[in-house]
Amino acid sequence: MASKRIQKELQDLQRDPPTSCSAGPAGDDLFHWQATIMGPGDSPYSGGVFFVMIHFPPDYPFKPPKVQFQTKVYHPNVNSQGSICLDILKEQWSPALTISKVLLSICSLLTDPNPDDPLVPEIAHIYKTDRQRYEETAREWTRKYAMG
Amino acid sequence: MDSDYGYSSEEDSYEAMGSEGDSFDFDSQAEMETHAKKIPYVVYDEEQLRERQQDAVNAVAGVLSISDAEVVRVLRQFKWDANRLNEEWFNDEESVRRKVGLLEDAPVASTSGKATCQICFDDFDLKNMRAARCKHYFCKPCWRGYISNAISSGPSVLSLRCPLPDCTAAVPQSVVKEVVSEADVKRYDTYAMRSFVEDNRQLTWCPSPGCENAVESRAEVGTDPMDIVCKCGATFCFQCKEEAHRPVDCDTVGKWILKNSAESENLNWILAHTKQCPKCRRPIEKNQGCMHMTCSQCRYEFCWLCQGDWKEHGERTGGFYACNRYEVAKKKGDYDEEAQKREQAKNALERYMHYYQRWAENDKSRVAALKAMKNVIEQKLELLSELTATPTSQLKFLPDAWAQVVDCRRILKWTYAYGYYRFGEQALGRNGAAVPADTLKQQQEFFEFNQGQAEYFLEKLHGMAEKDANQFLDQSVPADGWGKFRETLIGLTDVTRNHFDKLVQELEKGIDTMLHAYGGDMDTDELEGPSAPAPAAGKKKAARPSKKARAISNKGTSSSGAAAGVEGDSDGENGAGGSDWGFWQCHTCTYVNQDPRRHMCEVCDTPRTQK
Repeated sequence: MASKRIQKELQDLQRDPPTSCSAGPAGDDLFHWQATIMGPGDSPYSGGVFFVMIHFPPDYPFKPPKVQFQTKVYHPNVNSQGSICLDILKEQWSPALTISKVLLSICSLLTDPNPDDPLVPEIAHIYKTDRQRYEETAREWTRKYAMG
Repeated sequence: MDSDYGYSSEEDSYEAMGSEGDSFDFDSQAEMETHAKKIPYVVYDEEQLRERQQDAVNAVAGVLSISDAEVVRVLRQFKWDANRLNEEWFNDEESVRRKVGLLEDAPVASTSGKATCQICFDDFDLKNMRAARCKHYFCKPCWRGYISNAISSGPSVLSLRCPLPDCTAAVPQSVVKEVVSEADVKRYDTYAMRSFVEDNRQLTWCPSPGCENAVESRAEVGTDPMDIVCKCGATFCFQCKEEAHRPVDCDTVGKWILKNSAESENLNWILAHTKQCPKCRRPIEKNQGCMHMTCSQCRYEFCWLCQGDWKEHGERTGGFYACNRYEVAKKKGDYDEEAQKREQAKNALERYMHYYQRWAENDKSRVAALKAMKNVIEQKLELLSELTATPTSQLKFLPDAWAQVVDCRRILKWTYAYGYYRFGEQALGRNGAAVPADTLKQQQEFFEFNQGQAEYFLEKLHGMAEKDANQFLDQSVPADGWGKFRETLIGLTDVTRNHFDKLVQELEKGIDTMLHAYGGDMDTDELEGPSAPAPAAGKKKAARPSKKARAISNKGTSSSGAAAGVEGDSDGENGAGGSDWGFWQCHTCTYVNQDPRRHMCEVCDTPRTQK
């Protein structure tokens, strides 16, 4: 079941790729993917290319995939390990969701952080109290880690 | 005198106790133990619980006209409170339906043809697909994966929603039962059953290991402790699931149990009973001998009193056996802090030990009585029936008496935990305010008197159910006394039950209230029974000491009551059970006579002072 469904998702992605991201198996293992997300234009991550690692559990899609940033991101909901705090990757996961929808959700999380449910409270605090400083640092990190 | 804490009332008389006519089921020990319980409750086994749940569902299904499975869902949302559900449902059905995902059926384009399953993205014939009311169709294998996965993650599967993100439609039970394995259906049903008990304020599981019975309270469940006797024989509190403990509240019980298991008591003991060797610092317990100590470890010789070097002890310090230095220092009040701490710890420990020992002894006694009761039911009744030529159905009173003993032992046991906390150093009254010392003393005295009384009745009942009954068994007394024995024991059981019931009720109201009901001041002479027999007054067991006697000894009441009881003497050398309060108990039939001026028992006409 899992591999069939993953295969289908892969076909879909190849046939109709989303505009701002791409994804596919990292090697021979169908359950281990790598994806890229383009920093959204209306965010301080604009211009960056962010690598994301995806692991499918054996009971996918009934259990959510594990998704992690490989590129360093300055964001209230992404910690230094690259872990992402996103509801649909946890209790809000639904088997009717796909990797493409997950990646789109991550894109919108980059545009609109959720500082009220932060993974990194310090960044969330700065985001809430000093938006300019947050944007500068995020831009700085993007330049440093997500370009070239 | 005419307070609501009298021991007797009309019901006490034998005429009112038609117990002998009742049918008696020897297996149903639970029935027998429920005498003292005032709160109505029902014990269900698995099958009965299922029926009870079905009843609850049916009652609602009829009113709301939705399917049983949907009712379960709705009721679960409302913690199985049918009243609240009805209220909200008829107030705003739409909102309730939205909350639990019971939407109105969505329109369907067609039920034939093909559709794509939104999980595996394969195409299927619609007839091979299933959907909730939202009509989002998924194939059966995907449903199975979805539901099985949810079942393995716990009872939340009971409120499972349609797999489509943001769709709130409830997954119908019919789909669950159709697609998942038998084992999973069983688990699903188990969750549903557990929810009925666990989400429902009125129900709880029996906490006894291996027992799968559930208990439903028929009274509104508040925060007061509720004693429950399960069919498995376990007694427990509905609220805190500890052993039944009325009249003591759940908090006190929790504290007491924690204290009993706490390692701190060991430390207290070491602190109280040992001193450290002044040289090697090892703790030493002095269990005998003179003050000349030789440390068994480092051979250092020292004085136990002042902990000074023994070499310095001699004539000039007041001799080897009385260390004056210590006495002088003690008089001056500057003996070391350590000693003071030791003294305090010792006092606290002794106090705790006093209560703990009595608590534990009564518990032991309760367990033994429970065993004895089983023994009586299983082995002795037949024999007794033969020996006394009475049908076993007429012997119900003996297990009854035993059940009462078991019950009372438990209550009595907990009164010691109550006493420990209620009259401790930082005793608090019912309203949480500190109680002044003299009031506290008065209350303690009053409590201990009542406790002593209870103990007295209980010991007497226990002795009679055990020793006196055995006399008939080993035929050391003629069987023709059986009728009398029977009558007496029935009466005594009843009196004891009433006394304990009252004690429990009154203690729950609070000792301040209890004391107040007596006119507040216990020293009022009017309270004394006008014709309390003079010779008995001084040494009477469990009786309230006279004013003067009390001034000297405040502690006597409970222990003297216990001591008198342990003797188990039914000979009543001084008018057993009599009281300065006016009423007196007949030592032959144990009836509590209310009129202090009577010289004959109202029931059996036995003279008061004679056996």
